[in-house]
Amino acid sequence: MTASALTRPGQRERLSEKITEIDWRLALVLTAIAGLGAMILYSAAGNHWGPWADKHLIRYGLCLIVMLGLSLIGLRYWFTAAYPVYALALILLLAVPVIGHSALGAKRWIGTNSFQIQPSEIMKVGLVLALARFYHGMTSREAAMSWKLLIPAALIGAPVLLVAHQPDLGTAILLAATGFSIMVLGGLSWRLMTAGAILGGATVVPFLLFVLKGYQRDRLLTFLHPEQDPSGLGYHITQSKIALGSGGLLGKGFGLGSQSQLNFLPEKQTDFIFATFGEEFGLVGCVGLLALYAIAVAIALRIASISHSHFGRLSAAGVTVTFALYVLVNAAMVMGLAPVVGVPMPLMSYGGTVMVTVMISFGLVEAVRVHRYEEMPSGRGSLL
Amino acid sequence: MSLEPSIFFDEVNERQGVFHRRTFILGGFAGLGVLALGGRLVDLQVAEGARYQGLSNSNQFNFRLRPPPRGRILDRNGIEIASNRPNFRVLFRKNESKDMDDVAETLDKVATLIPITDQKKASLLKEIANTPKSTPVAIANDLGWDEFTRLNVRAPELTGVAADMSDARVYPFGGAFAHVIGYVSKVSAEDVDKEKGPDGKPDRLLLDPGFRIGKQGVEKSLDHQLRGVPGGQKVEVDSVGRVIREDPAGDIHAIPGKDVVLSLDADIQNRALEVFGQDSGAAVMMDVRTGEVLCMLSAPSFDANHFVSGIPGPEYRALADYDHKPLLDKALSGTYPPGSTFKTMVALAALEHGYDPKTTHTCNGVFPFGNHVFHCDKHHGTLDLHGAIVTSCDVYFYNAALFCGPDRIAEVARRFGLGQIFDIGIPGQHKGVVPDTAWKAKQFAKKGKDVQRWYPGETPSMGIGQGYTNVNPLQSCTMVARLANGKKAIVPRLIRSIGGVAQPSGASVPDLVADPAHIEFVRKAMADVVVSGTAASTAKLGLDPIVMAGKTGTAQAHTYGGGHGAHGAVGAWELRDHAWFVAFAPADDPRYAISVIVEHGGFGGDAAAPKAREIMRVALLKDPEVRARIEHPLPAPQIDPNAPIDGVAPPPPSDLPGVPQQGPSGPELQTPTPTEPPA
Repeated sequence: MTASALTRPGQRERLSEKITEIDWRLALVLTAIAGLGAMILYSAAGNHWGPWADKHLIRYGLCLIVMLGLSLIGLRYWFTAAYPVYALALILLLAVPVIGHSALGAKRWIGTNSFQIQPSEIMKVGLVLALARFYHGMTSREAAMSWKLLIPAALIGAPVLLVAHQPDLGTAILLAATGFSIMVLGGLSWRLMTAGAILGGATVVPFLLFVLKGYQRDRLLTFLHPEQDPSGLGYHITQSKIALGSGGLLGKGFGLGSQSQLNFLPEKQTDFIFATFGEEFGLVGCVGLLALYAIAVAIALRIASISHSHFGRLSAAGVTVTFALYVLVNAAMVMGLAPVVGVPMPLMSYGGTVMVTVMISFGLVEAVRVHRYEEMPSGRGSLL
Repeated sequence: MSLEPSIFFDEVNERQGVFHRRTFILGGFAGLGVLALGGRLVDLQVAEGARYQGLSNSNQFNFRLRPPPRGRILDRNGIEIASNRPNFRVLFRKNESKDMDDVAETLDKVATLIPITDQKKASLLKEIANTPKSTPVAIANDLGWDEFTRLNVRAPELTGVAADMSDARVYPFGGAFAHVIGYVSKVSAEDVDKEKGPDGKPDRLLLDPGFRIGKQGVEKSLDHQLRGVPGGQKVEVDSVGRVIREDPAGDIHAIPGKDVVLSLDADIQNRALEVFGQDSGAAVMMDVRTGEVLCMLSAPSFDANHFVSGIPGPEYRALADYDHKPLLDKALSGTYPPGSTFKTMVALAALEHGYDPKTTHTCNGVFPFGNHVFHCDKHHGTLDLHGAIVTSCDVYFYNAALFCGPDRIAEVARRFGLGQIFDIGIPGQHKGVVPDTAWKAKQFAKKGKDVQRWYPGETPSMGIGQGYTNVNPLQSCTMVARLANGKKAIVPRLIRSIGGVAQPSGASVPDLVADPAHIEFVRKAMADVVVSGTAASTAKLGLDPIVMAGKTGTAQAHTYGGGHGAHGAVGAWELRDHAWFVAFAPADDPRYAISVIVEHGGFGGDAAAPKAREIMRVALLKDPEVRARIEHPLPAPQIDPNAPIDGVAPPPPSDLPGVPQQGPSGPELQTPTPTEPPA
C-alpha cells in the first residue's frame, strides 16, 4: 500500500493547496485582537508607541509568521513530537528549582539573561500534545473508565505539581483545567467526571489551608473583600473595578483613561490591560472584545471537530480550552470575580512569552485544519 | 510506518460522537462564562457606573487645601501688631504605595540641596509616618531664595516633594504686645481632637503644616475669626500624588481671616515696654471717657515670634524659670495688694458714710489696736483726710477704716471695679479679693466659726490696702478711670472691631453711683499728691499746664519679720515691696487713667510714678486737644491784655511750690500686717 492510495479526498499535499486551507478568518480575528492590544498599549503609555505598543506589534508579527509556518507542518510530525516535547518540558520544569531564576519570589525561568524560557509555557502545549497523543490510541471504553486513565492523570499531575511548587498558581490551575478538559472530551465517564470534580473540590480546602503560601492565600481571598485591604492586594482589584466601572457604557475615549494614564491602575499594560481597555471603550468595547475572543474560540473548536483524527481533535480543542480559560480567568479577575492569579489576557497583555505560546497553539489549530484529512498512525500498544 | 485503520469504524464513530457532544457542551460552558462576564460588565459599567465615575474622579482630582491668610491684628491707628510674612518652605506628600525606606531616600536627596541634620531627618521620618497620606509635612521652613529656587528646580524628580510659599505669622513689635495678642504656635494633638467634625474626622486646616493655632490672648480668644475659611486648589494628580495638571477654574477661593482692631496704641505700648526695661511689673492705661485700653503691658516680655516656629526647649525653660515671670500676663493674671492706692476707696467710703473730712488724727508712727501695734513709716503729725491722702499716712487710714468697717469699704471698692472680672475679650483675668465679712465667712466656710469671723484687728490692714485685699492692674486702672470720669462706671474695652464690625462700645455703661463732691474731694487730694505729696518729685509731666493727679502705693510683698522689712529698693529682690502708682491726666479735665505696678520695685513714688509719667506723656502728646493746650495754653481770659504779644504762660497756681521737694517724698509705708487672720 502506498501513501497515495490511502490519500483521502480533499487531502492537501502541495504548499499552495495547504495555504488556501489555512483558516484566514481565525488569523484575522487574532490579528484584530492583537491590534486592539497595541492600540490600548499605545494609550496606556500616554499616547506613545514606546515602550509597549511597538514591541507588541513586532512580536505579534513574528508570532503570526511562526503560526502560519507551523500550520503547514503535517499533523504526523506534531504527533511524533508530542511525547518528546512533553518530556523536554517536564525535564526543564524539574530543572527550574535547581538552575532557575527567581522573580518576585517565584522561580519560573531558566536560561541566560539574553535568552530566557519559561518551561511552564512549553508545557502548556506539550501537555495537550501528549494527552492527545495518548488518547489517540485509546478506545472509547478505555477512555471512559479503565486503569489506563492513570497515565493521563499522571501526565497532568506531574507538571501541575511542579508548576504549583514554583509557585505559579495561575498556570498550574490552567494546566490542570486543560488536562481535565481533554480527559472529558476524550470520553471520561460521567461517574468518573463527577468523582473527579468532587475529589478536586475536596482537595481545595486542605490546599487552601496547608499547601498555599501566605501571599497566595491572601491573593485568593482578597478579591472577595478588596475594600479591607485598600493599599495591598485589594488595591489592584479596587482600582481595576474603578477603571472598568468609570468607563461606563461608551468609555472615556481613546487615550483618556485617567485610571491608567495616571497610574492608579497597577499592571495596566499586563494583567490588568482589560481594565485599561474597558476604561477607555466602556461596555460596548468590552463586549466587542469578548465577542472577538468568543469568535476565535468558536472557530478553533469548529476546526477541532472537523478533524478526521482523534489526535487532531483533542490537540486543537485542548489548546483552545487553554486559550479560553486565559480569557475567562483574566476577565473575571479584572472584574473582581476571581482571585488575582497572574493570568494575562492573551494577545492583549504586553509580554512575549504568552504570545509565543498562544500563537504556537493557534499554529497547531491551523495545522489541524490544514491536515484534517491526514491519516495518523494508530498509536496503539505503545506509549511512545 | 504502516498506515492502517487502527480502530473499527464503530469505535471511530463512538469517539468522534462523544467528542462532538462534549465539545458542544464545553463551548456552551464557555458561552455561559462569557455571559456571566457580560453581566458583570453591565453591573460595573452601567448600574454602578456613576459611582465608579465618582471614585475615578476622586482618584484623579484632588483639592489641595489652600489655607486662608490669618487676619491681622491692628492697633487703634491701623498699625500692624500681628501680620503675615511669606515663608518659603518644602513640603512632602506621602502617597499610597511609598514605604518609609523610599521616604528616607527622598529625604537624603533633599538633604543634598538644603541642610537637614540627621536629628531633624529622624524626627521628620517619624512625623511623616504618623501623618495621614493626604496631608503634607513641612520638611523645611524659611528657606533662603537660593535654597528655595534650587529645590523648586529639582522638586519634579523628587517624588512627593514640592516647594511652595505659605504665610507665617509675624509680630513686628516682638514682645511689646506678647501678652495681649498672645501668639500662635503649632497645633497639638489635643487641639485636633477638640475640633473634630461631627464625622469624627479632623479638621483638614488644622493638619496643614503651615497652620498655627492661637494659644494666648487675642490670638486664642478670636482664633476662629482670625483663621478664615480654607479654600481648595483643584489639581489632577497621578497615583504617586504628582500634580499633572492644575484646574484653576475649579479652585475654591480661601476666605481670609478677619482683621481685628484693638484699642491699644502702639506708641504708648512701646514706650511702656521701654520704660520698664528689665523691671518686672505691669502698666495699664485707659481712656477715661470710653474705657478703651490704650496700653496693657506686662514686663518683662518675650518675643512671641519664637513661638510661631516652635520655641526650643531650653529657651522655653529659661523663660518659664526666670523669677521675673515673663510668660505671666501680670496686667490681668497678677494680683497684688493695692497698698495705699486703696486709700482712695477708703476715703470715699468714709465720706459716703458721713465722715467729716476735717476730722484730724495725729500720727506719731504707731497705732496700738487690741493687742497689736500697727505702724506708720513716718511721724506725720496731725492731719485731716486731705492731708492723709496726700502724705499717705497709714495711722489716719487705720482710723478711717475702723470708722467705716470692712463691708462699706468693700462695697465702694467693688463699685469702682476692684474685685471684678471685665469682659475685654481675652482670657486670663484673675479676680483678686476685695474682702468683707461675708467674703470671709464664705472663704473659710470649711474652717471653724472663729476663723470665719471678721476680727476688728483685720480692718486697719484693709484700710491701707493690705491684708486679704488683692487686685490686678486692670482693676486698679479701672478704679482710677472711674474716679477720673466721675459720672460713668466705665468698663475696660480692648477689641474695637472684628472684620470691620465695631464691637459694643463702652458708651452705654451705667452711671457711677457716687457723690460728685466726694469724688472731687479725692481727685483734689490726688492732684496734690503730685504737687506736694508722695509723688511730688517723680510725677511731674513737664507739659505745663497739663498735670497729673495720682496716688502712690507701696505694697508689702511678704510679712516683715519683727516689724522691720525691706522698705524701698534694698534687700533681696523677691522680698522688696511692690511699687504702685495710679494716676489720671490732665488733672483738671481727665482723659487718661493709668495704673503702674513694679513688682518688688520699692516705693511707689520712686519706682512706679516715673514710669507712669513717661507713659502718660506719650498719650497726652498724641492727643491733639491736649497738645493744643500745651502749645497754646488756656485759659485765654487770664492773659493780661497789656501783656507782650509773644505771650507768656499764665502764672502758675499760687499753691504750686516753685521747686520740687527734695528727695523722694513718698513714705507711706504700712506697718507690718499679718497676712494670716489673727487667730
